[in-house]
Amino acid sequence: MFKTVKVERGSGGWGGPIILKPDEKKHIVLNVTGGGISSVAKKIAEITGADVVDGFKTNIKDKESILVAVIDCGGTARCGVYPKDGIKTINLIPGGPSGPLSKYINEENYVSGVREDNIIELSDSIDEYQSPKSSNEVSNIKNNKTEYNEGSQNFKNEKQNLLVRIGKGVGNVVGILYQSGRETIDTIIKNILPFMAFVSLIIGIILKSGAGNWIAKNISPFAGTLPGLIAISIFCAIPILSPILGPGAVIAQIIGVLVGTEIGLGHIPPQYALPALFAIDSQVGCDFVPVGLSLGDAEPETVEIGIPAVLFSRLVTGPIAVLIAYIFSFGLFH
Amino acid sequence: MHALAKGAEVFIGLFQQGGQQFVGMITGIIPTLVVLITAVNAIIKLIGEERVQRVAQASTRYFITRYTILPILAVFFLTNPMCYTFGKFVDEKYKPAFYDAAVSFVHPITGLFPHANAAELFVYMGIAAGIQKLKLNTGDLAIRYFLVGVIVILIRGIVTEKITLMMISRKDTSNKLKKEKIAL
Repeated sequence: MFKTVKVERGSGGWGGPIILKPDEKKHIVLNVTGGGISSVAKKIAEITGADVVDGFKTNIKDKESILVAVIDCGGTARCGVYPKDGIKTINLIPGGPSGPLSKYINEENYVSGVREDNIIELSDSIDEYQSPKSSNEVSNIKNNKTEYNEGSQNFKNEKQNLLVRIGKGVGNVVGILYQSGRETIDTIIKNILPFMAFVSLIIGIILKSGAGNWIAKNISPFAGTLPGLIAISIFCAIPILSPILGPGAVIAQIIGVLVGTEIGLGHIPPQYALPALFAIDSQVGCDFVPVGLSLGDAEPETVEIGIPAVLFSRLVTGPIAVLIAYIFSFGLFH
Repeated sequence: MHALAKGAEVFIGLFQQGGQQFVGMITGIIPTLVVLITAVNAIIKLIGEERVQRVAQASTRYFITRYTILPILAVFFLTNPMCYTFGKFVDEKYKPAFYDAAVSFVHPITGLFPHANAAELFVYMGIAAGIQKLKLNTGDLAIRYFLVGVIVILIRGIVTEKITLMMISRKDTSNKLKKEKIAL
């Protein structure tokens, strides 16, 4: 017997509350978080009677069977992937819609900052009272939509003369340019400026507080020599660590800023910029393998093999990448 | 009192320095970024995904293009994270290798084409900011980052493909052994 739960946002969270009502068809709680099944996913499964599936181990082919996805996304990729597919999403990390797919995130399909306390058991009567009404509304909207489409098709069938076609073509191009501009400004405001604010704060503190000298003493010996960079790349590629270091590339970006600041202060020679870019990034996407593979329509068996294959491959290719970059850095900035 | 004032000055100094950095980024990075991303977005829309898909399909046949052209097209035209959907063009056994190649390119591309991964620019830009501070040319770094990125994703593709094939064959043999045991 399945039960219904309500999931509310946690402190600093956004979106929701969302109602989860599992049935015979929709009964999977997909857990895509680092470090095993999260306590939130476990609690939802316990109360509702749904099944928890670890997204890192198994790939769910039938998206219709997913009741909810539980993720821990810093705000780049994963938080948008499931809402885009119409799957309700619980993010354990607080934050509003962000990332390139943020337009798919809304208060009905997304709730963030969730902890165990935010999961509340509901008695079924409330839910049954509400659902028939909303489904009627949906069908009404659908009917309106089809009428509208038919109307526009009639319009298309009318013969167009050359002038109208040229006009439409120009209008089309202008429309594309305008839309591109709008998307760009959107990205700048939602993705780039917030990160710049955060990066500026870090750089300001490093430069003024003297932390720069401390970092120079402790990190520069690593980032300023080839063996040091190779050591960093192997460290980042350790299969247990790499999925934890990956999310949102936040850690790679912070280290990038630190190394950049040290280069600017003259503590690390500038030609090490190129190998450093690869050394700090050997974990790229290690947190995202199951999601990335299922975006490419991979079978569950492929995902099972693919995760360890990518993680172990990085131990080899991480240091190789640093070596190649080191060779290519000859003649840089001379 | 004097010490207190001094302390306050040091404290606010941290954020004034940060503020200067912020203004520097807004005037130094954002204007070019806005125009560049707008232009590339428009080009992508004008070319259209269908045409790109045809080239992508053709590039899956040989391993060299499968782990260079295909991920580059995917990341450039579909951007992170939708680029991984081009995995649908390759055989099941090559999918992990394609993913590895594509995801490893989402940062090397940002030096030249920031639109492809605008939310993760600071892997490159953090380091490039230091180069800029030394009054050196970042263009050279961006091009080399891109080129080395292409070489690295090819190697990653090949290595991950080998590991995947090895694991598949090992899994098959262990499954056979299990079946034989059960049969016995």
